[in-house]
Amino acid sequence: MSDKKEPKSIERRRFIRGGMQMALAVSLGGVAGFSLLKSTSKELVWQLDPFKCVQCGRCATECVMTPSAVKCVHAYDLCGYCDLCGGYLKPDSNARSTAAENQLCPTAAIKRKYIEEPYFEYVIEENLCIGCAKCVAGCTSFGNGSLHLQVRHDRCENCNDCAIARVCPADAFQRVPVDNPYLIKGGFTKGGTSKDQLKKG
Amino acid sequence: MNRKLVNIVLIVLAVAIVIVIGKDFIGKKAGKNIENPFEYNMDEFRKVDSTQILYAETFHFPLKIHDWAGITVSDSMIIVASANHLLKFDYSGKQIFGKQLIDTATCITIDENRQIWIGMSHYVVMYDINGTLVKRWNSFGDRALFTSLAVSGENVFVADAGNRIVYHCNTNGQIIRRIGEKNEQKEIPGFIIPSPYFDVAIDDGGFLWAANTGRHTFENYNADGSLRTSWGVTSFKIEGFSGCCNPAHIAILDDNSFITSEKGMPRIKIYDQHGQFIGIVAPPAAFEGSLAPDITVDKQHRVIALDFERQQIRIFERKKE
Ligand code: SF4
Ligand code: SF4
Ligand code: SF4
Repeated sequence: MSDKKEPKSIERRRFIRGGMQMALAVSLGGVAGFSLLKSTSKELVWQLDPFKCVQCGRCATECVMTPSAVKCVHAYDLCGYCDLCGGYLKPDSNARSTAAENQLCPTAAIKRKYIEEPYFEYVIEENLCIGCAKCVAGCTSFGNGSLHLQVRHDRCENCNDCAIARVCPADAFQRVPVDNPYLIKGGFTKGGTSKDQLKKG
Repeated sequence: MNRKLVNIVLIVLAVAIVIVIGKDFIGKKAGKNIENPFEYNMDEFRKVDSTQILYAETFHFPLKIHDWAGITVSDSMIIVASANHLLKFDYSGKQIFGKQLIDTATCITIDENRQIWIGMSHYVVMYDINGTLVKRWNSFGDRALFTSLAVSGENVFVADAGNRIVYHCNTNGQIIRRIGEKNEQKEIPGFIIPSPYFDVAIDDGGFLWAANTGRHTFENYNADGSLRTSWGVTSFKIEGFSGCCNPAHIAILDDNSFITSEKGMPRIKIYDQHGQFIGIVAPPAAFEGSLAPDITVDKQHRVIALDFERQQIRIFERKKE
């Protein structure tokens, strides 16, 4: 037996090797733990942040559901109730005519109701909405941004790895608590999309 | 031996993780570059006939603080209000004055006596040119949202987007008249202001003009509050205004021609005193984003824009013939 110290280089090699093993073990443990947490976490659901969304169209094309579980919702308290709604009318439309060819929505999912001259209320028919965000882009550019997208939890499968979140260019998707599953811009008070109804979904 | 095996297993697992993460990353990247079949495309409308561009940008300078409220100009001095500050710059971009404001500003103008009037959402204050607070009006109530001010002599006009009305006040804030309330007998259509874009300006004759942005019209009022005349064109084409709340900002040159600034697809244009389109000050290609720059004009007919997207003051001058 010798109590002679090993040369410093061997000591260093052993230290590095030990450190690498530890780092790998920790990182693998971390990845496994994170995946486990993600896959078993039933108290979290997917939602998109409407302030991050850049209306890329992928909510319509990438969701595993057909049509998409993402729908346009309307923050009525933000809406200007404009006759010249940028989310309802094509930019080059004759604003005074709301004929089908002037409507921006590819599925005519936005219904317009006359309130009083010159105010109109816009209601989304969710069964028709495919979550394409075209109206959101129009409303954000020319209106008050009251039209926005949300994952509707009465339709969403809450996939472990949300297919839209994977490709969202704005990284707008996140996990939110199931008891507070919406990241809404304003209040929903009309057309069957009250905040409470959204919660129930 | 055992340790070797552990090392090999760990390395293989690490490589597998790197491949999975890498694939995911590349997949995401590829996914992020795919085309949008539902694109809200305005490219066609952004194109303009270059012969219609009558102005050129001659200078710009950056602004270092955010939350700008508005811009005005006097004696070759550019004055801007941010949410909390009043700043003055010369035309080379040098800051020559700065002062903290008593509240959150929403709009600003300067009168012929070089007194600076600032809307604070629901009340108005007046500072002298040295930044000393001279007047503070009473509040106009919680619903008030002041978006623009215009001063002519002893008359102060305040655009209130919250109540969709223009108040004609004396300099102490006493209301002389409410202008623009819907009145079918007097053929006043009422202001349609869906969002807080509601500008007023005074022409060379001292008459009030207000941008009725929900109708895309300019309305001109007599001293007694009756409607004198109006003009406006709803169209996505360059001659018109489109979408909700345009023209978002207006200014009037001393030859009574109008300068307009639009939101949605930002562009700045010039119209003659009868509302006839003359040309373009700054085309859509000059801007990013969708916010309408606030604008002001000086005696040399320069158009000075507060570009909220670029956080710049931008100066446009008429091209030589
Ligand atoms: S994928 Fe992201 S950016 Fe695209 S529409 Fe959906 S939330 Fe918006
Ligand atoms: S434009 Fe697209 S997102 Fe908007 S209502 Fe229609 S289908 Fe839904
Ligand atoms: S979690 Fe699944 S079902 Fe829900 S929005 Fe994402 S892809 Fe669609």
